[in-house]
Amino acid sequence: MKFRRSAALFVLTVALGASGSAQPQPSERDFLSRIRRLTIEGRRSGEGYWSRDGKQLVFQSEREPGNPFYQIYLMDMETGNTTRVSPGTGKTTCSFINPATGDILFASTHHDPRSKPLQDEELKFRASGQERRYSWDYDPEMELYARSTQTGTYRRLTNKRGYDAEASYSPDGQWIVFSSTRDAYDRSLSAAERKQLDTDPSYFGEIYIMRADADGSGPKRLTNVPGYDGGPFFSPDGKRIVWRRFDEAGLLADVYTMNLDGTDQRRVTDFASMSWAPYIHPSGEYVIFSSNKLGFENFELFLVDIDGRKEPVRVTYSDGFDGLPVPSPDGRQLAWTSNRAGGREGQIYLAAWNHEAARAALKAAPDRKKP
Amino acid sequence: MKTRSLLVLLGLVVATSAPLPAQVATSSRTRAHVETLASDRFGGREAGSNGERLAAEYIVSQLTRIGALPLPGRSDMFQTFEFTAGSRDGGSTITISRQTTATGGIVAGITPDQIRALSFSDDGTVTGDVVFAGYGIVVPESQAFGYDSYAGLDVKDKIVLVLRYFPEDADAQTKATLARYSDLRFKANAARQRGAKALLVVTGPRSPNAGELVPMTFDTAIAGSGLPAASIINSAAQWMVERPLVDVQKELDTGNPHVAGFALPGIRVSMTTRVIREKKTARNVVAYIPATGAVTGIQKPWVVIGAHYDHLGTGAGGNSLASREDAGRPHVGADDNASGTASVIALAEALSKQPQRKRNLLIALWSAEEIGLIGSKQFVTTPPVPVDQIEAYVNFDMVGRMKDNKLAAQATGTSPVWGSLIERANVRAGFDIAIQPDPYQPTDVSSFNDASVPSLNFTTGAHTDYHKPSDTADKINYEDLDRIVDLATAITRQLLDLDTPPLFTKVEQSSQTASRTGLRVSTGTVPDYTADVKGLLLGGVVAGGPAEKAGLQKGDIIVQIAGQSITNIYDYTYALDLLKIDQPVKVVYTRAGKRTETTLTPTARK
Repeated sequence: MKFRRSAALFVLTVALGASGSAQPQPSERDFLSRIRRLTIEGRRSGEGYWSRDGKQLVFQSEREPGNPFYQIYLMDMETGNTTRVSPGTGKTTCSFINPATGDILFASTHHDPRSKPLQDEELKFRASGQERRYSWDYDPEMELYARSTQTGTYRRLTNKRGYDAEASYSPDGQWIVFSSTRDAYDRSLSAAERKQLDTDPSYFGEIYIMRADADGSGPKRLTNVPGYDGGPFFSPDGKRIVWRRFDEAGLLADVYTMNLDGTDQRRVTDFASMSWAPYIHPSGEYVIFSSNKLGFENFELFLVDIDGRKEPVRVTYSDGFDGLPVPSPDGRQLAWTSNRAGGREGQIYLAAWNHEAARAALKAAPDRKKP
Repeated sequence: MKTRSLLVLLGLVVATSAPLPAQVATSSRTRAHVETLASDRFGGREAGSNGERLAAEYIVSQLTRIGALPLPGRSDMFQTFEFTAGSRDGGSTITISRQTTATGGIVAGITPDQIRALSFSDDGTVTGDVVFAGYGIVVPESQAFGYDSYAGLDVKDKIVLVLRYFPEDADAQTKATLARYSDLRFKANAARQRGAKALLVVTGPRSPNAGELVPMTFDTAIAGSGLPAASIINSAAQWMVERPLVDVQKELDTGNPHVAGFALPGIRVSMTTRVIREKKTARNVVAYIPATGAVTGIQKPWVVIGAHYDHLGTGAGGNSLASREDAGRPHVGADDNASGTASVIALAEALSKQPQRKRNLLIALWSAEEIGLIGSKQFVTTPPVPVDQIEAYVNFDMVGRMKDNKLAAQATGTSPVWGSLIERANVRAGFDIAIQPDPYQPTDVSSFNDASVPSLNFTTGAHTDYHKPSDTADKINYEDLDRIVDLATAITRQLLDLDTPPLFTKVEQSSQTASRTGLRVSTGTVPDYTADVKGLLLGGVVAGGPAEKAGLQKGDIIVQIAGQSITNIYDYTYALDLLKIDQPVKVVYTRAGKRTETTLTPTARK
């Protein structure tokens, strides 16, 4: 199961042990109400991101006939009408709606002439009934595209070997921040690095920022630490970036924030687990993220104050996967990805979000223990 | 919802029910229908009863009011059919004699006064030699599990004697497999396929209900097994076998497939079986709202919406779960299924007012659902419009008890179209929908799935008033019932207008949902079907039942029983096959997130 900005290979098995937590009182009803499954069609769906007015949600879903991979879809939250906005062939991932223009940003391999054979190969593999450990391949063909809302045409924004994906717009729509493994293809690698590229290319993932109109000035690299840096989003005021950084082994991750030029990098979590998929609430006060602190295969949503001064507060209480949380622009709803209905595959869920309860819980949380 | 549901098999009997807050919605589109249909005047709407006739007339008056018409070529809205309302033994007899091989003369004979035809037995008189065929179980070769009670036996033109149930001491896995093929109808079929003349069944001394005759159950009261079949008491079988029956059974109970049956030399049986089946007449109500234009050129121009309107009458038919104090009172069935009937009427009314409908909307309210989906089966076998002209079927069964915004959409595996239609309609409707692909549900959606029609069922699930007189109109959640109608209206509207009819996809019937009649233990649990949990969430426990005695309570989630991990209701029913009566098993459950263990001792379920 790949979800945005996840790196490591993790398997969500059906037989989940009861992740015996000994906290009887708190429940996800403290923050979430009217929880419901939003996506139903297709094998799986995930990573729902809101339009600025909260009336649309863009997401990835495996529902295209003849294509086993994710394509990008736009759902009208008033009528329920859903349309495909990616080309339909190849792999895609990680979409985002430009808050200013409504253009839709995503990563895609549709230009790759091998796209169709790869689709058929995967369909054949699935038809054979075999199961594979989930592994996202960090396809170096992945490039960023923006689909014009006006004309419906696609504009290619990156053109460099390496996985360019996990992109999002700044609140004014002028900038794009994304993750890329291009560094691994840009220079000559040592023997150890070549081996690393073979086993886990995400190791080379770094954060880049570029002009949304791809004016030719090129992306600027913001991080320079071994291990997968990815899943960047702008803060609501557009002044900072939140992302997650994996360790070199790709097993532990933490949430960080930084300035747009890469300075003042601050670590916000230290669970000694996989804490990732951070998104800042529109109030700017806290980060919602996912962590497997309570069990390797049991990802739950957590909250932490924007500066990481307090201990994080647990949000969800469901076995399996809860991740990729994205609050609506008004801060009153939450879209996230979960396999809580059973099985391995995730779907997008929606709930009303209790911002006041979240603030109060963070206020009451104890100070973070310094490591 | 029909009786042979998992609920009943799991022994749902619960005494309490939480009252719902009083409803204030005065403009409900469903309330008046539910209140009328669930009034005492209709006496529980038992198929073939006067109450059923009155209910059908009410439905016809409502459909007429909204402008629905009798189907093309028909003068009224009724589809009348005959059904078997029950069965009893009509005086079956048996004589057993033993001859000596030396003289050929009869040395002894008995005429047991206790014999009872199986409810699916043919009437007939046969005389023949007897072969004992163990448990009489044949596991199909496709199951890659070698077990054939007839291996090495010649039963052609013989009378076959078998044990009821399945080997009692086999390991759990073996039992689980054999249990699925231990239904008496399977056993009768296996005997007939091998040329046997008749089948005799005895409940072995080592089995639950030891030595007892098999009751003539109501839901097996459909003829057609093709041979005389009857159950006899222990002493009669004992007399034929000549060895202690308990020893014979013990050898077979290991589950070892090499323990063979044997011929009973010198034994001759003369038997006569007679089953009296009570025939009654019931009526489906069928009508339609025509498309707004010509349907020429439109593929599959019919969309069917339906719900059963019959219920249990006063509960005499044997499907009632009424407590002793409530027994005999009308089972008014407000949720089951006045709620579904009201939904269909309200949905039809809403669509009748919408312009530009490409397809015809066929409205069907079924009778005799509670005794085996008979009305809907009648429809698909003698269809008033060709079944291959039906684009899709949408069913409602027990939709009036919504809690926490939870709605189950069942049988979605019958077509890829359901995911997209439900997703789209539900973006606005906003239900917390549980998607259940399995079409083999104990409701009329099953009949349409059998007829290869893409089918969908809505339900808000079971509750503690299920199949009791306390399933009353005041407990219906009308506000959310109306929302369900809105959702279904949006989905049906899309179905009416699709350019290309959706594909039907066949869902393989999992062995877990195959015959459940071999099940005979009770744990006294009441599952909550609407919950999205991994494990079996208890909606309640039977007062005084094994679960209650084990300390289990409503809200507990069973995650393991007898070493079997439980992730859903099917796992649980599967695990039940492995349990032995009076033999304690470990149950692991979570309560408020805390994992705990207890010991539960199953009891016999009659």
